[in-house]
Amino acid sequence: MTATNAGPGIDVAVADPGAVTLTLPPLPSMVRVGRLTASSIASLTNMTIDDIDDIKIGISEMITMLIQHGDGSPVTLCFEADDDNFVVEGSTAATRLDVSGNDFALATAVLEAVAETSSVAFNDGRIVIRLMKAVAVGAAER
Amino acid sequence: MSEGEHKKSMEEIGRNESIRVTIDKGAVVAEGDIDLAGGPLLDTAIMRLEASGPVVIDLTAVEFIDSSGLRSLLTASRRAEGRNSVVVLRNPSAGVKRLLSITGTADQFQIEDGDGSLAAGGEK
Repeated sequence: MTATNAGPGIDVAVADPGAVTLTLPPLPSMVRVGRLTASSIASLTNMTIDDIDDIKIGISEMITMLIQHGDGSPVTLCFEADDDNFVVEGSTAATRLDVSGNDFALATAVLEAVAETSSVAFNDGRIVIRLMKAVAVGAAER
Repeated sequence: MSEGEHKKSMEEIGRNESIRVTIDKGAVVAEGDIDLAGGPLLDTAIMRLEASGPVVIDLTAVEFIDSSGLRSLLTASRRAEGRNSVVVLRNPSAGVKRLLSITGTADQFQIEDGDGSLAAGGEK
């Protein structure tokens, strides 16, 4: 694995061909950093502009939830893209996951609307959020 | 109004890496992204205007909004309802309209598009 320090508290690593991991400090300003990174990676696929816009919304919801529900530990994002799918898994350490608030319901509703599949789970002291967006067939020809 | 006079009428509430928020001619003007970082600045500006009348939020230069930004708008709408008033969203971009549509919250606002027409619930 190669790693690059891209700025204060930001680490970017290529775990294997096609996968990128990004570790962010749990700060509101980092939501934009994650969003722009996702947009850049998605633009390497055949995704349409509309689909990339959906990815940006989904990533924003993901990072916001991880910051708000995490214990203050860094947020890790793993991006994987191929010809068919764009998959992002985000996680952070947490003591619990409170799913009772309106904010959580709104964020998950948005996540579900912009992704083909999405999930939010709490396992072994980590909140794990996953979203998958299909790369539209024929998008490259548009 | 000359450019100099216009600048005098504009009050900058704040800016950060996501957003710049000003109050100009009685409207909150947001430029950039309304997200976890941008929402609090927008809240500050909205609350400043609430004291003096209806809240108009100019979203012409908003490129992105997520649910944490939308919460700022919804909270303002609820407060406006309590004052028997409304929140007007001026020139929302396609991205803003899409999020309102996804969340089914367009009817919480009065939408004012580029031609100055008003519509409740985002319908024209």
